Amino acid sequence: MHESRFSIFTGIIVAGACILGAQLVHLQIINQDEFSRVSRGNALRTMRVLPARGAIYDRNGVLLVHNEPMYTVTLTPRYFDTARTPLLAEILDVPDSVITARYQEALKWNRYRPSPAFYDVGFARYSRIKENAFRLPGVEEETNQKRRYLGKSKAAHALGYLREIDDSELDAQRLSGNEARYQLGDLTGKTGVEREYEGFLRGIPGSALKVINIYGLVVHSYMEGREDLAPQSGLDIHLALDDGVQALAESLFVEKRGAAVALDVNTGGIIAMVSQPDFLPATFSRPLEDSTWRYLTSSSDKPLYNRATMNLMPPGSTWKPFMSLMALSEGLIEPEGPNSTIFCPGYHPVGGGRIFRCLEAHGEQTLVQALQNSCNTFFFELGKRMDLSAFHRLANSFGFGVAAPTDLREQTSGLIPDSAYFNARDPAWGIGTVMNLGIGQGNMGVTPLQLARYTAAIASGGTLPAPHLVEYLERPDTGERIVPEVAGHSEEIPVAAEYFELVRHGMRMVMEQGSGRASQIPGIPTGGKTGTAQAPQEMEDHSVFVMFAPYDDPQIAIAVQCENTGQGAWCAAPIASLLAERYLTGEMPSFPNVRWQRALAAASQDTAE
Amino acid sequence: MRTWYRNLDYGALLLWIILVSIGLVAIYSATSGRAEEFLLDSVQNSFERQLLWLGICGVGLVTALLFPVRWYQQMAYPLYAVSVLLLAAALFFGREVGGARSWLYIGPLGFQSSELAKIGVLLAVSQLIASRREMALSAGQVLATIAVIALPASLVVMQNDAGTALVYAGLIPVYLFWGGIPLNILLLIASPVIAGYLTIVSLPAAFAFAALISLFLYWRSRYVTMLVLGAVLNVGIIAGARFAIERLLQPHQVARIMSFANPEAEEFRQGVGFHLVQSKAAIGAGGLFGQGFMQGTQTQGRYIPEQSTDFIFSVIGEEWGFVGAVLVIILLSLFILRIVRMGAQIRHPFGSMVAAGAAGAFTIHVFINVGMVLGLLPVIGIPLPFLSYGGSALLTNTGMLAIVLALYMRRDDYSVYAYPRSRLRGGDYVVAGA
Repeated sequence: MHESRFSIFTGIIVAGACILGAQLVHLQIINQDEFSRVSRGNALRTMRVLPARGAIYDRNGVLLVHNEPMYTVTLTPRYFDTARTPLLAEILDVPDSVITARYQEALKWNRYRPSPAFYDVGFARYSRIKENAFRLPGVEEETNQKRRYLGKSKAAHALGYLREIDDSELDAQRLSGNEARYQLGDLTGKTGVEREYEGFLRGIPGSALKVINIYGLVVHSYMEGREDLAPQSGLDIHLALDDGVQALAESLFVEKRGAAVALDVNTGGIIAMVSQPDFLPATFSRPLEDSTWRYLTSSSDKPLYNRATMNLMPPGSTWKPFMSLMALSEGLIEPEGPNSTIFCPGYHPVGGGRIFRCLEAHGEQTLVQALQNSCNTFFFELGKRMDLSAFHRLANSFGFGVAAPTDLREQTSGLIPDSAYFNARDPAWGIGTVMNLGIGQGNMGVTPLQLARYTAAIASGGTLPAPHLVEYLERPDTGERIVPEVAGHSEEIPVAAEYFELVRHGMRMVMEQGSGRASQIPGIPTGGKTGTAQAPQEMEDHSVFVMFAPYDDPQIAIAVQCENTGQGAWCAAPIASLLAERYLTGEMPSFPNVRWQRALAAASQDTAE
Repeated sequence: MRTWYRNLDYGALLLWIILVSIGLVAIYSATSGRAEEFLLDSVQNSFERQLLWLGICGVGLVTALLFPVRWYQQMAYPLYAVSVLLLAAALFFGREVGGARSWLYIGPLGFQSSELAKIGVLLAVSQLIASRREMALSAGQVLATIAVIALPASLVVMQNDAGTALVYAGLIPVYLFWGGIPLNILLLIASPVIAGYLTIVSLPAAFAFAALISLFLYWRSRYVTMLVLGAVLNVGIIAGARFAIERLLQPHQVARIMSFANPEAEEFRQGVGFHLVQSKAAIGAGGLFGQGFMQGTQTQGRYIPEQSTDFIFSVIGEEWGFVGAVLVIILLSLFILRIVRMGAQIRHPFGSMVAAGAAGAFTIHVFINVGMVLGLLPVIGIPLPFLSYGGSALLTNTGMLAIVLALYMRRDDYSVYAYPRSRLRGGDYVVAGA
C-alpha cells in the first residue's frame, strides 16, 4: 500500500514545488522589470547634492564671500535618551528645558526622522557632540553651507543676500526649464550680485542614489555610488569693488544717511558703492529672527533700500558742469570772444533780484570762473537761454533720466523734465521754472550712480561708461573666464572734446580755488564740484559732491550724497576726497578725521566769507 | 555494540544542515545588515540567538537518536498529555506575542507552546493509528484521530493563532491518507479545501471545480452517493465561505483573507496588502541572480514585515534571486521526500506514521508559507521550517526530524508484537476500498 501512497505523496510535493517554481518564474523572470520598478520606487531615492556656490572676490583678488559649513544639531526622538538631556544641554550651553521642548517638537513631527533642533551651533560644539556621540544616541548633526563674509567692508547692497526661493521664483525656474536646479527650501540670491548672477553662482546640483528604509532614512549608497552624478560648482565672481575703499567709505558714513558711488573712469567698474543705513549680509546666513526681519523691511531706516542707485534728489550745483557743456555745444555761450562772459550783479534780473539770487556779486564771469565760483546768475542765464528739448536730449545722453546699462538690478531712471512734463503738471509754467533747472534745482531727480557715471564721462572727455559690479566670472576648475557684456559697454557723448577740456579745467579750479579747496588731495590734482540739493520744508539741505582724480589721467570718479548735512563742501566733499586718495595711493589717508575737521572748518569759513 | 550509526540517514541530516545554514545567512542579512539599527533591540541579536537555539537543537537531535523505538511508543500518550497541558497553561499564564497567547516562560527562556505541542500530537496520533488491530481504518479510529488532533487545535485557536491551528487541522488528511483511508473518501474530505481557496480567488472557478470533482468521484467509485456528497460538500463550502466573507467576518479578517488575490487594491494598501506588495516586489526585484548578500533594498530598508521570521523567503528571493529561491524549494522538497521515503521504508506502522506525519507537517508549513510569501495564498502567519527565525519552531521541527531519524535508524529493532496481525499472516498491506 505504502508504495502507491508514497507515489501520491511524492506527486503532491513535486506538484506543489512546481507551482511555487512557476510563480517564481512569473515574479522573478517574466515580471522582473515591473517588480524591480516597485522596489526601486520605494527603496531608492535620488538625493540632490548641492553644488558649492561661487565665491566672490574684490578687484585685487581679496576673498569677500565664500561658503562655510553650518552645523545643525538634529534630534531623532526614537533613539534619543532623555536621561542625557543635561549632557546635551551642557554642550550646547542652553537650559535643560530648551532641550526638552525641542525634543517634544521633534516627537510631534516624526519619531523616526532626525529633526533640526539647533541651527548653526559652531564648530566647537559640533566637535564636542561628535566626541560624545556614543553617549548621545539620537543626536546627530547635519552640515549645510552658509555664506561667509570675509571682507573688511560689508558691501551689503553690492553683494546682496540669499534667502529661500519663493513660489514665483520657482515657477519662473520651471518655465525656463531649470526645474531640476531648485526646489522649495533652496537658497537663492535676492538682491545685488547674488541675485543678478544667480545663474552663474549657483552651479548645477548633482545627484546621489541612496537606499531608503521604510522610515524614509538613508541606509547606504546605491551601488557604492557608481550611478551618482557629481555636482558642478558655481562660477567665482571677480568684482570691480575695492574692499579697502569700500570699507573706508562705509566707515565715513557711520551715523549718516546717504550714498556714494565710485567708478573706475576707464571701465565703469564700481570701485565702491555705499548706501547708508545698510545691513550685515551675514545676518541672512542663519534663520532670521522675526524682529530682525521687521527692522530690515519696515523700519524707517529702510536698510534694504539701495540709495546709491535709487535715491532721487536734485543735483544742485553739481549740475553746473553739465549746463556748461550743454551751453557750449548749443552755442549759448562761447569759450572766448564777446559772447564768453555773463555779468553777475549778485542776482539774476528776472524776477527783480529777490527770487534768483547768487551767493555774491561776481561781476563779469567766464565759464571757468562761473564754475569755480559756482555763480548762480551765470547758470540762471544759461537756463533762460536754453532750449528745453536740447537740454533733455543731452541730459539723456549723459545717462540722466534713463536706466543705465548695468548689472545692478535695482535702479531708478531719475527725472529730467521736458515740456510735456511741465505741461502735465502746471500749464502755467514759465521761464522761471526752466531757469531753476540751470542750477540743478527744482523738478529734477538724479541718483548717486548717475552722478558718478556723468562725472566719469566728464573726466574721460566724453566716454560714458556702463557702471557694473562684476569684471569677470571664472570657472573654478578650468579657470575659463567669462566677461559680462556690460563690462565692455560704453557710449560716446556728442559734445566736442575741447568743451570737455574747458569744463574739466573749471572743475580743477573748483578744487584749487573754489568751494572744493579744503578737500584737495595732497599732491594729486583733481577736478570736482560741490552741490547743495534743496530739501523740502524745514529740513537741512543735502550735501552733494562729484569728483574725479587724478586730473591728468583720471582713474576714479566719485559721487556722494549726504542727506541733511548742509552744503556740498561740508560733508560730501571730504568723503569723496578721502576715498579717491585711498584708491589712488592704496593706503589709508593719514589722520582722516583731522583732515576732515580741517576741511569742515575751512569750508565753513569759505561760506562765511 | 552494534554500529547503529550505519543506518542513520546522512542525506536527510546533510539537507537539514544546508537548510539551517541558508536560514542563518538570511536571518543575518535581515537583522544584522543595514536594517539593524532600525530594528527593535530584541530583534537585533536574532542571528546569535538562532545560533544558540541551533546548539540546543544539535544536542537534542543527538539525544533523540539514543532512545530506543519502544521508548517513543511508550512516551507518545504522556507527551501528548503534557502538550495539551502546556497549551492550556499558555492560555492562563502565557504571554501574548504578536496577538497570540502561546508563549510560556521558564525564567528568561520563552517557548511557543503551540509549536512544541506538535511533537506530542505527532507521536500520539501515530501511536493511535499504529495500535489498531485491523488493517482498514474504522470509522471510530477516524473519529478518534480527528478528536486527538482537534483538542490541541482548538486550544491553539483559543490562543488566537489560527494559522498554527490550520497546520494541526491539515495533519488530519495526512494521517488518514497514510493510515489507509480510501482515496475516494479522502478526496471527498480534501476537495472542499480547494473549493474554499478557489472561492476567494474566483467564484466561477470554484463552481467549475465543484462540478468536476463531483463527476470525478462518481467516475472513480461508480456510486451516485459520492457524486451527491461531493456536490453538496463543495457547494456548501463555497456558499459558506461567501456567507462568512460577506456577513460573518470582521472587515479586517476579510481583508486578510482576500487581499492576496489583489494586494494592490486601494482598500488593502495600508494593511496586509502592503506586506504582500512589498514581499512580491522584493522577490521580483531579485531577478535571476539576486541583488547579493546584504544588498537587497527591500530587505535592508525593512519594507517587508516579519522578514526574519514568516517572510524569510522574500529575503532569499531578493538577495539570491531565482537561483537561490528555486534551490531552497528544491532542497526543501528533497528533504520532505527523503522523510516520506523513510516513512515508506519503515515497515512498522508507528515509525511509518511518525515519518509521514512529520513529512506532512513540513509540507504544510513549506507550501503555505512560500505560497503566502509569493502571493498565492492568504497571509497566514506560519514559519518556514528550518529557515525562519524562531527557536521553538526550529526545536520542534528538528525534534520531529530527530525522531524520524531515530525510528528509521532502528527500523529493524521493532518488536514483533507491534506489527499488525495481517503482517504476521504473511500478506502485504491490503486496504479495503482502496
